[in-house]
Amino acid sequence: MSPPRPAREADPQGSADLDALLVRAGTGDQAAFEAVYDRVAAPVFGLIRRVLRDAAQSEEVAQEALLEVWRTAVRFDPARGTAVSWVMTIAHRRAVDRVRSETAAAEREARAAAFEPPPPADDVAEAVESSLEAERVRRCLDGLTELQRQSVTLAYYSGFTYPQVASALGVALGTVKTRIRDGLKRLRDCLGVSW
Amino acid sequence: VRIPGLRRDPHAPIGAYALDALPSAERARFERHLASCPTCPDELRGLAATAAELALAAAETPPPNLKGRVLADVAALSGARDLDAEIAALLSAPDALVASGATSAGGTATVVASLRAEAMVFTSVGLPVLPPSSVYELWFIGAGGARPAGLVPPVSGGAVPAPVLASGLSGGDAVGVTVEPAGGSPAPTTTPIVVLTLRA
Repeated sequence: MSPPRPAREADPQGSADLDALLVRAGTGDQAAFEAVYDRVAAPVFGLIRRVLRDAAQSEEVAQEALLEVWRTAVRFDPARGTAVSWVMTIAHRRAVDRVRSETAAAEREARAAAFEPPPPADDVAEAVESSLEAERVRRCLDGLTELQRQSVTLAYYSGFTYPQVASALGVALGTVKTRIRDGLKRLRDCLGVSW
Repeated sequence: VRIPGLRRDPHAPIGAYALDALPSAERARFERHLASCPTCPDELRGLAATAAELALAAAETPPPNLKGRVLADVAALSGARDLDAEIAALLSAPDALVASGATSAGGTATVVASLRAEAMVFTSVGLPVLPPSSVYELWFIGAGGARPAGLVPPVSGGAVPAPVLASGLSGGDAVGVTVEPAGGSPAPTTTPIVVLTLRA
C-alpha cells in the first residue's frame, strides 16, 4: 500500500501559538509556562517512557526535562526552530542520557532488541493521546524500507546509538548512518514538515 | 570504523545527530562540522522537527501529580531568581543606606535600604536560635508607630538566615527587631532587641 501524503491542515497543533507561549515563558511568565506544560507534557512523558520504559524513572526524567524547558526557554528563538522541536529535543536528550548512564543496561537492551523487534508505533498498550497524529506518523513509518524504519525507531524510541542499532540489526555502521538519514528525510517529506 | 576506499561524507551523521544517536566523540566531531556547514542548519531543523513528530505520536497522559510538581519547582526557581535579582538591585541602589548594630539578644543586624525603592534588605549573623514558638519580626518604625516589615526565616543553630527583602519603607523610618510568637504579630508585643536608624 502506498500511503497517501497526508494534507497538513493550517497549523493543526497551533505551533505558532506554542512558539509565542514558550517565548513568554522565557521572560519568566509562569502562566505562559503552564500553558506550554499543558500542550507538551503528554508527548514529553510518552517519549521518555518509550525510551526508559520504567514508569517511575520516566516521571522523574520528565520532571527534569520540563524544568529544563523552563530554565532554558529564554534561549528559545522561534526563527531557528519550533517550540515543539525545542522541547522534544530536550526531552529526548534527557531520556538517552539516563539510558546511557547505565551502559550495561543499554547493552543488555541492544542484545534483547536483536531478537525482539521494537514495538510499532500503535502497539503501546497505555492510553495514547492524539491518535490522529499517531496514525499519521505510523502510516509514514510504514512507507519507509524495513531497515530505515527499524534504524529510525531503534535510535529514537529506544535511545540506541547508531553503533548499537547496527549491532542489533546486524548491519554495517555506515549503512545504519545512511538509513537513519534517508529514513528521516523520507518521513519529513511524508509528514509535510515545513522546515 | 572507516571502510578503505570510501570517503567519509561529513554530512552523513546528520540524521543520527538529530536523533541523539551519535556516540559522544562522533557527536563532538559533527558539532565542529556543523559550526561551519552552510546547509546543515536547515537540514537539521527539518530532521529535528520530524523527530518531534515521532514524539507527538508517542504522547501518553502523564501521571496527574506531575504537573503540580513541575509547577512547584518552577515557582520555587523563579521566586529565588526574582528575590536574588531584587536584593542585588537594592544593594547596588545609588541611594543605598547602610545601618548595622549589635542586638541586646546577641549577634549583629544589618539593614541596607533605598528610600527611592522604598525597600530594605535585612541580614543578621549570630542572632540566638529561637524555639519554634517564637520568631524574629522586623518593623518599620516611623512617626505613626511600628509597621510590620516581615519575619526572619528560622534557621537551625549556626546557619545564617536568608536575607529578608521588605518594601514599604518611608523617609524617616527606623528599622526594629522584636521577638514575637510564631507567625508574627500585627504590632510589636515585646521590646525591640535592636533599632537601626537610617541616615543619609
